[in-house]
Formats: sequence, structure tokens, C-alpha cells
Amino acid sequence: MYATVLFTLGFGASALWRCLSVRLGLTILYFIFPFAFKGLVIMRNDMFSMLRRSPFCIQQARKAVLGFGMLFACLLIFATALPKGAMAYSDEELRIVAEGLNAKSATTKIKVIEEMAADGDPRVAPILRAMLEGDLYVRESDEHIVITRKQGKVYTHIDIVSGEEVGESGSGEISKIKVNNRLRGVLRDALATLNLFSPDLTTRTNAVEQIMDARDPAMLPLLLRAIDREENETLLARMELARATMALAAGETTEERLAAIEVLSSETTPQIRAVLSQFVASAEAEGYEPEVVAAAEDALESVEGRLSTWQTVGDVYRGISLGSVLLLAAVGLAITFGVMGVINMAHGEMIMIGAYTTFMVQQALGSFLPSGSAWSLVISVPAAFLVAGAVGVVIERCVIRFLYGRPLETLLATWGVSLVLQQAIRTIFGATNQQVTAPDFMSGAIEFSTGLVLTYNRLWIILFSIIVVAGIAAVLRYTAFGLQMRAVTQNRRMAGSVGIRTGYVDALTFGLGSGIAGIAGVALSQISNVSPNLGQTYIIDSFMVVVFGGVGNLWGTVLGAFSLGIVNKFLEPMAGAVLAKIFVLIALILFIQKRPKGLFALKGRAVEA
Amino acid sequence: MTDYRQKYQMTPVIGWLLKDRGGMILLGILIAAAILVPLSNLLLPESSAFHVPTWMVSLLGKYLCYALLALSVDLIWGFCGILSLGHGAFFALGGYAMGMYLMRQIGDRGVYGDPILPDFMVFLNWQELPWYWYGFDMFWFAIVMAMFVPGLLAFVFGFLAFRSRVTGVYLSIITQAMTYALLLAFFRNDMGFGGNNGLTDFKDLLGYSLQSDGTRAGLFVASCVFLGVCYVLARGITQSRLGKVLIAIRDAESRVRFTGYRVEYYKLFVFTVSAVMAGIAGALYVPQVGIINPGEFAPALSIEIVIWVAVGGRGTLYGAVLGAFIVNYAKTFFTGAMPDFWLFFLGGLFIAVTLFLPKGVIGAVPAFGSADRQSIITAWRKRRANEGGKA
Amino acid sequence: MNKKLQALIGAGAMAVSAMAMSAAQAAETIKVGVLHSLSGTMAISETTLKDTVLMLVDDLNKNGGLLGKQVEAVVVDPASDWPLFAEKARELIEQEQVDVVFGCWTSVSRKSVLLVFEELNSMLFYPVQYEGEESSRNVFYTGAAPNQQAIPAVDYLMSEDGGSAERIVLLGTDYVYPRTTNKILRSYLNGKGISDEDIMENYTPFGHSDWQSIVADVKAFASAGKKTAVVSTINGDANVPFYKELANQGIKAEDIPVVAFSVGEEELAGIDTAPLVGHLAAWNYFQSVESDANSAFIEKWHAFIGDESRVTNDPMEATYIGFNMWKQAVEQAGTTDVDAVRQAMYGQEVANLTGGTAVMNTNHHLSKPVLIGEVQDDGQFDIVWETEGTVVGDAWSDFLPESAKLTADWTYPWVCGNCEKPMY
Repeated sequence: MYATVLFTLGFGASALWRCLSVRLGLTILYFIFPFAFKGLVIMRNDMFSMLRRSPFCIQQARKAVLGFGMLFACLLIFATALPKGAMAYSDEELRIVAEGLNAKSATTKIKVIEEMAADGDPRVAPILRAMLEGDLYVRESDEHIVITRKQGKVYTHIDIVSGEEVGESGSGEISKIKVNNRLRGVLRDALATLNLFSPDLTTRTNAVEQIMDARDPAMLPLLLRAIDREENETLLARMELARATMALAAGETTEERLAAIEVLSSETTPQIRAVLSQFVASAEAEGYEPEVVAAAEDALESVEGRLSTWQTVGDVYRGISLGSVLLLAAVGLAITFGVMGVINMAHGEMIMIGAYTTFMVQQALGSFLPSGSAWSLVISVPAAFLVAGAVGVVIERCVIRFLYGRPLETLLATWGVSLVLQQAIRTIFGATNQQVTAPDFMSGAIEFSTGLVLTYNRLWIILFSIIVVAGIAAVLRYTAFGLQMRAVTQNRRMAGSVGIRTGYVDALTFGLGSGIAGIAGVALSQISNVSPNLGQTYIIDSFMVVVFGGVGNLWGTVLGAFSLGIVNKFLEPMAGAVLAKIFVLIALILFIQKRPKGLFALKGRAVEA
Repeated sequence: MTDYRQKYQMTPVIGWLLKDRGGMILLGILIAAAILVPLSNLLLPESSAFHVPTWMVSLLGKYLCYALLALSVDLIWGFCGILSLGHGAFFALGGYAMGMYLMRQIGDRGVYGDPILPDFMVFLNWQELPWYWYGFDMFWFAIVMAMFVPGLLAFVFGFLAFRSRVTGVYLSIITQAMTYALLLAFFRNDMGFGGNNGLTDFKDLLGYSLQSDGTRAGLFVASCVFLGVCYVLARGITQSRLGKVLIAIRDAESRVRFTGYRVEYYKLFVFTVSAVMAGIAGALYVPQVGIINPGEFAPALSIEIVIWVAVGGRGTLYGAVLGAFIVNYAKTFFTGAMPDFWLFFLGGLFIAVTLFLPKGVIGAVPAFGSADRQSIITAWRKRRANEGGKA
Repeated sequence: MNKKLQALIGAGAMAVSAMAMSAAQAAETIKVGVLHSLSGTMAISETTLKDTVLMLVDDLNKNGGLLGKQVEAVVVDPASDWPLFAEKARELIEQEQVDVVFGCWTSVSRKSVLLVFEELNSMLFYPVQYEGEESSRNVFYTGAAPNQQAIPAVDYLMSEDGGSAERIVLLGTDYVYPRTTNKILRSYLNGKGISDEDIMENYTPFGHSDWQSIVADVKAFASAGKKTAVVSTINGDANVPFYKELANQGIKAEDIPVVAFSVGEEELAGIDTAPLVGHLAAWNYFQSVESDANSAFIEKWHAFIGDESRVTNDPMEATYIGFNMWKQAVEQAGTTDVDAVRQAMYGQEVANLTGGTAVMNTNHHLSKPVLIGEVQDDGQFDIVWETEGTVVGDAWSDFLPESAKLTADWTYPWVCGNCEKPMY
């Protein structure tokens, strides 16, 4: 820790030099910048309106005066801060310097940030991090800059100098220090510089990745020093790689470049591909040695080859993920449509009801269990099953039971039901989207350096779909209800005569199918809109899946969903999303010609009846 | 029932036409409407109680196109058991053919003033007219295409599907897949059919301005005439020997096949005829509503068509016409009268009709209820199902 | 026989309803038509605008009405069905005899009703940002034209504050607004020195819900070393899955900022915005604007809708401006006659909600300020950039060769929506 501070001090001194020498340039740049940008606006406005030029000139003048004022303020900050730049700030200095973060122009802010980062005061990093996360505020009472922690509607203030809590307030008494994307970038780079020497390994690792992304040659000396001090083997390798990306263009000798290419060629990331292809593209202009260029081309080829393999892996994964969504949406239909022969056009609305149940559960839990969003999803699954299942039983008892044996008429009645349900939801909840928050375990992703990203919500949904299908299969196979259900669908009258209450089984079967659709709604609420139109998005795809797999066959539905998903995702990069979908539909139509009863056709005489 | 059919099987066209009570009423109404509506719209002063306002003429004209579309679905569903959930595709293709003609008629009156290219092509940087737009500047060609393209699609699609013996829900779902694929394809701006906006901003038809009352009345009369002619044609098909085979296919496809009929040819024929009728309906529809866009390919519309037929009464032809009028009038009325709740009424109507009027509105009328629409086998099936449901 | 009866009943019902309507019309009210979808795919966006018009009408009536008469809103549901829009427009104008119509969201619905409004010489206020390339005598466009939204937004992305983007991804739903906007942007970017190989264009169908591949493609495109930004014209329903995927794949705004033209407070209401902080949107209004008019409007909206959590958005402001302009024009003209009101509309000034003044130009488009906002973790936008003063809406883009030569000006001597030289 102590060594770190010492070192940063040393670095601060050298940074000061750099700062001083570029200060003049920066000042000029800053001077020009607002005018260059405003000039653009003027040009554009001229094109559209000659009328507004005169008030514009006045504003421009006003801006110029403001600009001068700002410049002056900026110089003032420099004057107070820079001479002591090499040292850690005194309390008072830190406060004054940090006030520069509240400057109006982003350029000024950036200068202050860079200057604070270069100083190396350990108190700087928390301030910059708070700024990056939008937690840095100005207290209106004394114009002090404070870090805040938000708890409900109360903001706790933390003094930037002492790091202690110094009071709290509502949002009215403090005003946020604005950051934009440019500032965020600068802040992250600045933090990376600070973090490169952090005692925490994870922080250091992130800092190295950050530097690798930025590829700023100015960071090279810093990185070299970090390499000298690094002890962790893995991180050292990453650092060497980062060095190589910079050394390729910035390197002095042929050997250095060749060594850099050697290091790079063993890696498989899109960034390395970009570095190499840029190097090859600029080879002629820069006049690199032929053997270096040849080596770079070889390396590029091998990197690209490996990346395309990873691309294929990614396509398969995305296909499986899409397939699992299709499967969840369709599996309930496989029961109501496949097993019972009811063409349930209201199936999509059952999914919608499941999603709205999730929303309701989150609302209900949110009022007394604010951090319980992880639990809310767990509770939503049975809740959605029960709600959608109950709605399904009601529909079956009131409408569908009068229509058995007339499958096409169930289509008409359930279409009516679907319209009524949509409108009911719209009347109750309004037509706009409802927000379902993602619990922590479903946010984020596993990122591979090869560019493959496995998002947690998709992984959970794949797992979830497998569990649901296994559950259904178990119910059908091992429970008494499953046995009765199969009996009724195979021969209703015979089942009735051996004492099975067929009406009761019908209602429960339809309830089961609807309940599973409700469960699907819980999962889909995580990746889709929760709106009255949710069901319509999935209904057609669901029917395609069930028909493709073969009506009445659960495993057909599973295989159908995954194959449609994977085919779609393989076509998408080649043909685009729309054409891919069209091709899949055409392929489906042609496939049905080949196998008119789907992938797994039911065999025997019962089929013809 | 069977006697009734056999008796008139050999009599000439007039014979079965006269015996078709519902059909006679329908044709009578159509002829009366075709004469009276334009007359009262064009000749009577606006203050007259019998004046039919122009908006009602185009509204009724639109309903007539829907009725023709419903008729085409009833022909295959009611008489051959082919439930197409993609008939909107044929309708829309017919509409696009007419729309392309109307687009070419705009000529240099478009906003960019290009004499050949439609506006949407100009601002999407198309340099020349794609080949499939050639010929659409000629009215006869557009009309032929409005029938030929849907017919060809139906022929190819039907040839594949019926030869492979795709039946029942499988057929319904792949027809749905067909219209869905076309929907997505026509949404693409690269297709050259105007993408989501479709074709619009039409000016005139055969030199007559589409905005004038006279043209509207003319289109209305044309819709009446085509509906009437198609009705007679459809009735003729169902009353012929071929029609009997169709009904047999509807009721027991395997048995018909086992007795030596080539089921797929019969199906293919009636499917293609039905698609051509839907195409004509589309071609009449477009100039009356002033726009054609991929929305007409939406699977939901195709499902709705089937519902019109079911509401009116499947397997009667005139029932389909009635159903189209009832549902669409209900839609027009309720979307204006109770915009926030109309889906409850429409959805409720569909449920009620299926539950309480299994033969549709027509079936509830004693004089029509026992008409020739039910064969012994379907009756038996229904009975069996009902027993099952109660068991 | 009964069939005939049915038909008679049907025809009778029609006639009766028609007569009932014409009787009602004799009463002394001014009728305002509301033509927004309340069901179907667009209900999600348009229902809010229906409520906005109802609120404004309500407010107007509380303050004594217009020209001494009460104002009555006639609401119909065109159900996101484009031909039905034309039918309903005709019904509103001919049957209900409304004096003005507020309505439409999608371009295709506007195109569908356009001919009806022109034929019957009625007046439509269209409150949504759109692709331009149109100026009808019977339509007033109170949403943004591309030069009031897209071009300033791209300027911002390429500016230093916006991150100096050098590679641009144009993502859009495949319909005319994204196509046209992206075409204008491509021509504009080429002019700014960004070559075609640094521009990626991608179109998806409506309601696209699986964004995994496209987001991965964007990431790959951005890994080429140059600073990359995304310009999104993705429509409505598809946005929630898109942003959810973006957040989950860890695309941060400082790496690849996304600027959207169709995403406002209402669309964000369905998403947890914490991972999206810093992504951008360009509009003429944000709920977070600090002005007295805006606070009053928000308060009124919450009171009317009875829900404190409902947000306001740009099309609502456009409806607000359009409604107030129409009101002022009617007062000025002393009548609701369409031609008189139209003349009174030109140069009409109304206080907008961002603290300035909106002016109706003779090309039927507004002068409005352009704001760029960053998504915040509470679902609101923090304004990071705004134009000095207002920008005049341009009906015909200057960046498309065939439309640059056209002019829209409905006053003497032009009197034309798409002419190269004046009519008179």
C-alpha cells in the first residue's frame, strides 16, 4: 500500500511535466472546441432558417463571454492545484480541486479528472468512482461536493475529504454532478490507471482489461512498470498481451514487433483481430518490414479461424436459447392442443396471464420486501401456475367442454376468449408495458474473451425449460392423473366406463396446459414486454412448433422447438432476421409435405378418426 | 336430404338455382342493392330520407368484398373440409395486383413527379422498375394477375399439400405459415412492394377519379355483380357431381380414396377456384379502401374470415355472406360506439355463436337450419362427441 | 326469409344510428375526433395520447369551452388496422361531423387516412416524430421531422461530448420511418467523412423479440478499434427485449452508446434502466425538463389519470402543442371552419412545455428545440445537450437529392406541399 502511494507520487511528478507541456495545447483546443461545435449548429440552422441568425449571434456572444469565464476558472484551478500536483492533496486542496468536477463544460471536468487521477491521492478513487456511478452531488447549503448513498428517498452524504457521513437530505437539497458518456470513458480510464496498482487482484485484472480495450500508447510506460511489479502469473500474461497490443504499432525494432505478433497470435479475441487487421491494413502506409507483415497476416488468419469456430459455438448457443423460449411457449399447447385436440387460440393469453401474475407478485412483495425480487420470481412460478391454471379450468368448464369432438369450433370460441382476455387485461392494467424487474441471479452474463457471451437470464431459461418438460413428462408417466389423462385421450368412452370421471380429467388437463403456459409467462416476462399483446407474439410460433414436432408427442415438441431455434439462428447471420424467419417457415411447409404428421407421427388407426 | 339432392342433380342450372331459397334471396338483395344504392346515392338530394351517403356506399362495398372472401372460404371449408387459415394471403395478393395497377396510374402525379417509379421507390433509391412491375400499367393485365397469382400460389401449394395428404390441423397450420411468411416478406422494403406502408395515394381507376361518387357507386355495383356471379358459380360447383365428391371428401376422405377417386385433384381444383375468388375480392377491395399493405396478410385476419363463415353458418354459402356482414357491421358499430370495450362484445359474440348456434345464425332459422349441409356421418360424429362429453 | 329480416334489421340499425348521429350534431358543441388505436399492437403507445386529448378537452371545458361552446371529444378505435383507420376517419368526418381530428401514430395509418382528409377537406393533427417527405394541406405535423431529431442526435454522437463516434450502427425496424431516416443519416454521415464501411445497417421485423445475434454482431462491429455508436429506430414493442439483451450482454453506454428516436419515458417504463444509464434518446421534450409549464402539465396529467407513476412523453407534448394551437387558431378565426382555421394556424405561437415557444410554419411543421437525454436509473432522462433556440421542421430533407429540391409552403405564392416553383 505504502509502496503504491510512493510510486504514484513518482508517477505524478512525471505526469505533471506532461500536463504542463500539453496544457497550452489543451487550452487552445478548449478555446476552439465550443466554437467548432457551435459553428456546426449554425451551419445547420442556416440551412433551415435564415430568420434566426440574429438572435443566434447574440447568444453566441454570450457563450463566448461564458467561455472566457470558464477558461479563467479553469486556469484558476490549475494555478491552485498544479504546483503541488506531485503531492497528496491537503484537505482544503482536495475540496477545491474537486469543485472543478462541477464545472459546466465537460472539457474542464476532464482536465480536473485527469489531474486528480495523476495526483495519486488515495481519496481520489472513491470520488471518481462515485462520479462514474452518478452518486456525486453538490450540496446546495454549502456548495460542498459529497458522495451520496441512496436509501429509499433519503440520500446519506459522505464527505469526500474525511470519508465520513456528514448528514442526509432528500433529493431537493442536492444537485447531481452531470456525467456524459465521454466523461464516463475518461473516468474509467482514470480509475484504471489508479487501479493498476491496487492491492486487490480483481481490481487489477479489470484495470488491465480496461487498458487493453483503450489501447492508448500513452499508458505503455505505466503498464511496463506494473509488469515489473506484478506477481500473479495469470495477470502477468494478460499484461504481456496488453503490452503486445501496444508494442505492435509502437514498437521500435523488427524483433519487438515479431515478438508482439508471436504473443498476439496465440490469443483468440475480437480485439486482437482488430489490432492485427489494423496493423496489416496500415502496413503499406507505415512502411513496416515485409517479414513482420507476413507474420501478422499469418497470425490474423489463425485468429480469424479460431474466432469463426467460436462464432459457430455462439450460434448454437443462441439457437438453443431461442429454442428453449419456443419450447416454453409451446409446451402448454402441446398438452391442450396435442393431447386434448383443442385448438386453443387463447394459449398466448395464458402466457400473458402468467407474466402479469409475476408483475403482481413483485408489486405485492415489493411493498414489504424491497430486496425480495429474487424470491418474487420463485414465488411467481407456482402463483402463475395456479392463476393461469384456474383461468384454464374456468374456460374449459364454461366453453370448451361443450365443444369436444369439434376441434375447429374450439378454434373460434377460444379466439373469442383470447379477445376478451386481452381486453380485460387492458382494462385492468392499462395498455402500457408493466415493469418486471430481473433478480440479481438473472442479470449479467458470463463473458468469454473470445466474444461469446452467455447471459444468465438465457441460461436460466434454458435450464427452466428443461425442468418444466421433465416435470410434465413425469406427471404424465408416473402419476395417477397422468394415467387417467392418457386413458381419456385414447378412448374416452372406455375410460368413462371403467370409472374415470372424464369431465374432471378434461378440466384438469386443460388446467395443466394453461398453468404451464402461465409458468412460461414468468420466464418470458424476463426477456419480453409485459403488455396485453404478449400472447399474440408467441401464439403462431407455438403452433408451428407443436405441428412440426407432431401433435400429441411431447418429445416431438422438444425436438421441434430446439431444431427450429437453431436453424433460425444459423440462418440469421447470413440472411438477416426477417429472411431467416421466412426461410424457416418455408422449410416448415416443405417439411410437412414430407412428413404430413410432423416429426413424430402418432401411428395406428386412432389417427384417422 | 339425399333425395333432395338426387332429385335436382340432373336438372339444369335454373332448376337448382330456383330450389336454393337462401341463394335466391341473396341474389335478389344483391340485384336490388346494385340498382337502388347507386341511384339513391347519386340522384336523391342529401336531405332526402332515402339518400344513401357516400361513406355508406364505400362501407357497404367493403363489406361486399369481405362477403366474397367469406364465400370463397366457405366453398372449401364448408364443402370440402379444407380449413384454410391463410386465405387472407390470396385476398392480399389480388389486392396487391390491383394496387400495382393503381400505383402505375398515378404516373407523374406522385410527390416526386417521377413518371414511372412510384414514390416509395424514388425515395428508397430504386433506379428502375423491377421486372415484376412490368405490365401493371395495363388494366386487363392487372385483373388477370389478380386472379392468376393467387390461383397459381394455391395450385402449387395445394398440389404439394394434397399430394402429400396433409390434412386437418396440419393443413390449417401450414396455410397459416404460408400467409405469415408472405406477411414478413411483404414487410421487407427490399421486396419492392412498399414495405409496411404498402401501396397508397391512389388517384384514379381507368381514368375515373377514385374520389368521385360515381366511381364509388360503380365499384359498389361491380362488387355486387362479382359476389352474385361467384355465388352462382360456387353453388354450381357444389350442386354438380363434383360437388358431391367434395362433400364426400369432407365427411370421409379415406373412404372416397378407397372407392377410387383421386381425392387430391378434387381438392386442388376447389382450392384453386376459391383462391381466385379471394383474389377477385382483394382486387375489388383495394380501390374502395384506398390502401393495400402487408397487414392484410396477418394470420389474425385469416382466422377472422373463418369466424365470419362460422357465425353466418358453415356449408351454406349464403350463410358466409351473412356472417361477413354481421361481424363487420358489429365491428364498425362497436369500435365507434364503445371504443374501450368493443373487444368484449366481439369476443363474446364468437363464444356465444359457437356455443349456442353451432350451425351459425342461418342454422337458427328453422327454414334454413335443416338444409343440405349435414351428412349422416357428421351428424353421427357430433352425436358421438356429445355423448362422450357428457360421459 | 329470416335472412331478409336480418338484413333489414342490419340496414335499419345503420340508418337509425346514422340519423341519431345527425340529430346529435345539431346540438351546440364543437366536436373533436380522436383517432388513436385502443386495441391491437399500437394500443400500447396510442392509448396514452387518447387520454391526453381527453384531458385537454376536459381542461378546456372547465375553463369555459371554446367560442362559448362546450367541446366534445368523439373517440373511436381503429384497432391498429390500417384500412380501418380510413373507414373510421370517414366516419368521424362525415357521420360525426367533427371539426378537427387528433390521431394516428404509425406512418401507414397516416397515409391511410390522408386521402380521406384531403377529399373531405378536414384537419388532422399528427403528433408523432416521423420520416418527413410529406406535407399535406389537411395535416399539421406536430412531431419531429428528421432534422429535428436524427441529425442533431448524430451530431452529438460525433461531437467530443458524445464520445466522438467514428463508426455508426443503424438499427431499425423494417418500415418506412427507419428506412428513410437511415437513408438521410447515411448521406449526412458520408458528408461528414464517415465512409460506408464504417456504417452498418440492420433491419428487423416488427415486434422482433430475439436480439441475441444482432447485439453480438454490434459488439463484433465495435471491436474494430474505432469508437462505435448505435442509432436506433427500433419501434415500440421490440425495444424492451432489445434493451434487456443490451443490458445483459454488458454493453455499456460509454463503450457503445445507443441513441434512440422512438424510445421515451413510456417505453422505458417496462425496463429496469439501471444497466442502461448513459444510453441516449433525442426528442423535443423530456419529462425531466424543468419548467413551470411542464410541472403544471405533469401535475394535471397525474390528477387526470389518477396514477402518480404514469410518465409523460414527447408525443404527449406534441398533442398538447397541437391542441392549444388549434384552440388559439379557432379563437382567432372566430369559427371552426377548416379553411379559416388553417389560415389562422400559420405563425401561431404556443408556449411549449420546455419553456420556449413553438411556432407553426407554413410547411405545416413546427419549430421546436431539440434535446438529447441520457437514460437515468429511475427511468427518466437527464438532458445532456440541447439546441440553441428552436429548429424549424423540414418537410423535405436536404440530404436526399430528389427531395432537396422540393418546397412545402401553403401560403401565397407557393400554396403547395411538394413543388419546385410557386404555384402563383
